Amino acid sequence: MKTAMARPLSAIGSVVLIIGALLPWATFVLNDGPYPDKATLEFFDAPFGLSSFRLYLEILGLAGIVFTFVPVRDKIRVLKSIGWGAAGISVVNLLFIAGDGGGLGAITAADGVPAFGSIVAVVGSAVLLFGAYQLPPEPLTVIDSKLPWWAEWLILLAAFVALLFLITETLTAGGHSGVSDPYIGPLFLSYLSAVGALLGVLHAFGVTEWISDMSERHRVFSIVVLVLCAVAVPFTSVGNDYWMTITANIGVYAATAIGLNIVVGLAGLLDLGYVAFMGIGAFVAANLSGAVAAEFHIQLPFIVAAIASGIVAGVFGAVVGSPTLRVRGDYLAIVTLAFGEIFVRVSQNNIGGLTGGSNAIPNIPDLSLFGAQFNDAPTIGGLQLPGGVLYYFLIVLLVALVMFVFGNLKNSRIGRAWIAIREDEDVARAMGVKTGKLKILAFMTGATLAGLAGAVFAHKLATASYDSFQFNQSVTLLAAVILGGMGTIPGAVLGAALLFVLPEELRQFKDYRLLFFGLALVVIMRFRPQGLIADRHRRAELADEDTTGESLDDTAIKEPVAVAAKEAGA
Amino acid sequence: MATLLQQIVNGLIFGGLIAMVALGYTMVYGIIQLINFAHGEIFMTGAFGGLAVYTWLLPAEAQKIWYVALPAMMVGGAIVSLVVALLMERLAYRPLRNAPRLAPLITALGVSVFLQELTRIVYPGANSAVPFPNVFSAAPVHIGSITIPSSGLLMLVVSVVLSVVLQTYVNRSRMGRAMRATAQDPDTSRLMGINPDRVIVLTFGIGAVLAGIGGVLYGTYINNVDPYIGFQNGLFAFAAAVLGGIGSIRGAVIGAFVIGLIKNIADIYLPGGTAYDYVWIFILLIAVLVFRPQGLFGEVERVRA
Amino acid sequence: MSETTAAPQAPVSTQTRPLLEVRGLSVAYGAIEAIRDITFSVQAGQIVSLIGSNGAGKTTTLRTISGLLRPKAGEILFEGRPIHTQPAHAILGMGVAHCPEGRRLFPRMTVEENLLLGAYTRSDDGVAEDMERVYELFPVLGERRQNKAGLFSGGEQQMLAIGRAMMSRPRLLMLDEPSMGLSPIMTQRIFDTIRNLRDLGTTVLLVEQNALAALAQSDYGYVVDLGRTTLEGSGHELLADQRVRDAYLGES
Repeated sequence: MKTAMARPLSAIGSVVLIIGALLPWATFVLNDGPYPDKATLEFFDAPFGLSSFRLYLEILGLAGIVFTFVPVRDKIRVLKSIGWGAAGISVVNLLFIAGDGGGLGAITAADGVPAFGSIVAVVGSAVLLFGAYQLPPEPLTVIDSKLPWWAEWLILLAAFVALLFLITETLTAGGHSGVSDPYIGPLFLSYLSAVGALLGVLHAFGVTEWISDMSERHRVFSIVVLVLCAVAVPFTSVGNDYWMTITANIGVYAATAIGLNIVVGLAGLLDLGYVAFMGIGAFVAANLSGAVAAEFHIQLPFIVAAIASGIVAGVFGAVVGSPTLRVRGDYLAIVTLAFGEIFVRVSQNNIGGLTGGSNAIPNIPDLSLFGAQFNDAPTIGGLQLPGGVLYYFLIVLLVALVMFVFGNLKNSRIGRAWIAIREDEDVARAMGVKTGKLKILAFMTGATLAGLAGAVFAHKLATASYDSFQFNQSVTLLAAVILGGMGTIPGAVLGAALLFVLPEELRQFKDYRLLFFGLALVVIMRFRPQGLIADRHRRAELADEDTTGESLDDTAIKEPVAVAAKEAGA
Repeated sequence: MATLLQQIVNGLIFGGLIAMVALGYTMVYGIIQLINFAHGEIFMTGAFGGLAVYTWLLPAEAQKIWYVALPAMMVGGAIVSLVVALLMERLAYRPLRNAPRLAPLITALGVSVFLQELTRIVYPGANSAVPFPNVFSAAPVHIGSITIPSSGLLMLVVSVVLSVVLQTYVNRSRMGRAMRATAQDPDTSRLMGINPDRVIVLTFGIGAVLAGIGGVLYGTYINNVDPYIGFQNGLFAFAAAVLGGIGSIRGAVIGAFVIGLIKNIADIYLPGGTAYDYVWIFILLIAVLVFRPQGLFGEVERVRA
Repeated sequence: MSETTAAPQAPVSTQTRPLLEVRGLSVAYGAIEAIRDITFSVQAGQIVSLIGSNGAGKTTTLRTISGLLRPKAGEILFEGRPIHTQPAHAILGMGVAHCPEGRRLFPRMTVEENLLLGAYTRSDDGVAEDMERVYELFPVLGERRQNKAGLFSGGEQQMLAIGRAMMSRPRLLMLDEPSMGLSPIMTQRIFDTIRNLRDLGTTVLLVEQNALAALAQSDYGYVVDLGRTTLEGSGHELLADQRVRDAYLGES
């Protein structure tokens, strides 16, 4: 009976959505931005537009109609993705217009000008979503076909190029090089919602899974292509100084987040002071760089300094990890938090003259290779590259290295032992896993990677200041890992990218950045604790809970297992 | 010698403050084994709640009369803290009652950041420290060469009184018994007819009221507040709860006084002085967690280490 | 004596409406079904026992009746009213007390506090009186009422657990393995107490591995195997049944 309502509802919703997209959206003209030609007002008030958010909504609406009537597998996920994407676009623009236009008048009717577009679109997407949720849930579609290797290579290549395109488009969705376009926020979020809907549909068709299986089969090829794609970024539309800096920053944090993912995602040890290891790496590198303010006036080659940073951070990691021998769970989290706080205090007070205190260690020399300064804009074969591109390449290398380490560890004996510890430490120990050593090893590995990232970070910024390594940074990194998906590489990269790109794109909401972080952590833990890109292993666990967890209350989920074990075993 | 005595007095006052926050940590942990990171922010919202009452609700004449203004602010602060804490329990923690243990902890972090930022954005002028009126401005007490600020003395007295009341309530009353039962064995408590949700709500509520009152008293003592006072003091309070043996009310209070004394004595006598007092407290916290995780008064069986 | 079938209405006897009826109850832990389609009933004023080997699902059945677990299918009627949708704390208030496996006392509380917790839902004046009755029934508890429960021996703890369950004045008392870990003499004393309680008007649902002792005391019994009731009959009938003797009484 419920299912019968699904088709008419989603069809009606889709049609309403398209109508909404074609109506005018704002009753007023806001043309006071510094770039009037870019901030065109038709964007909001003209009806029948075929660009930007209107275009996305029209496409989504059409897709909604098509998929309502064409038989596809997993229709519920397809329509849900379309619905949520459309809802995202509509709500973002509704809020923006209402907010900027001074209230409800802006999105209804004022001065004889009607503009109900946003409200109609919101209603349309709500109806579409409501219809979609009437459908019966289906297991995730699996495409199980293997092609000849060359065909799979081609598909992977195409997929990665498409990904590269999506990423560069995402970065520039709100305009290039960060000029202050007043519409950058809604433009970017609209684009992001549309991309999310697209990926959701692909996921429902099993395409994303299929491609990730393929890349698993051709790991080396994938990594090479991925690195090549990353190297190609400076030659695309984001190839300018501004984006090189941003992407380099994302890269540093992504590398650090992957390191944290080893500790939290694989070994299941919550580390709340992780950024301190990055700080240690940064200060070690700063002190060995020959900076005037540094304690040691020696200048080691960068590669030596970076290795030293990694080693020192790793030693601290082992020290901080050693309480894991005695302390578990949230107590361990507190130990790491306390360590992080100690680090901040100590470096703020310039202990031993090593950290520069509140003056930081400024003027860390720029890296150079064969005479090329890393911050300069090099010219290769007559092609002018953006400034900082060498740092960008260095960081791509760093991320690739960290991914390589993570990937190999995860699929090794050690990685499996970590996962066993995460799932149940006592059982792991009973099975002969040397839990103590392995937990310290997890801390050490994570810290070493963070130390390396810190060394690069210090040179890139030319400064090492305690202020960059505060508790909030640890929370942000943790949020990146959790948002992306614990225990997965793409998860950590995606998480880091989202958490460090979003503030750039949403600069007008910068003040609310941390507010949203906090809220996001709460909401993710509530509705999607496995993160955006879930680990297969974990997904299996969570799927299992989905089918039985519905009516069990309180202790009923943890307890029965114990009882069942007792009843079965005793 | 006089300096030492003065530092001891300051330490006791600071300990009294920390105790009011530590009780909330210890009680919530005792019942649902959650380190409620956001409890420090409950304390902070209480301080802002009290300030809001003073600024917008109290008429100018009443602002000057401490025995009108202060109780009104304490009630206001307690109510704000209570409402925030109950919403937090209902919306953020309760849905996660059966989730893996990391999930509520991360949620708590999220709530903590969210409340800090919300206060900073919503409360007028809270982008930087907001001055807090010294409502209780009686003359300081002098004993020999020692000076005890009246607001500090008040904080100490209120804290000790409230701790004793709480201890008696938990030990003697029917609901107190239900709380202890739920802490010891949640499943069997349900078989006794105890509604765990009610006990949990009560626990959060009591913790919040104490923290809210603590927040107002902190404001009157320090004379300015900002959205981040919860984090730092919350960490101290958590350290106190762990030191005393988390889950134990008496332990939390004694732990708080130990922390207060160490901080103030470290300011003068330990290397690094005031710049390093936090460091000493965190080193102590780590040492306790590693070597005596059940704390000074905790019972070994409860500890999950 | 009859063999139960999977059909929900297995008329056990034609007496008045049973105090407790369990119909087609299934409970699963994740994907694993601990009990499937179990059906039995408990007549008022009787001692009814569920016997069976480990892992048969007896404890799960009791925990589901008392509301600690939620059934996947089936229903539980107490005095004709469905209770399987109620939370555990409300079910106690309806008159079902559950004395769990392993006693589960509050070890860091005194005897008196344990008893008071048993009477948690009551607000009448009879609590002190009932407490005295428990002390009369088990004088050893009365003598040491201010001692911590954790300090008592296994048998004394079982007495306290039963006493605590009685404090809510239940109409149905469910006991999970009351003889576990007790000496034969102590086991005998506990079973005497259970009979005594029945004679005073409390209906008892007993789960036991000690099938011999349990059936000897029971008015009626069910054999639970692999999550189902497979046999039922009066205590004496079951004791005499060759299949029961083979399977549970260690004879061959």
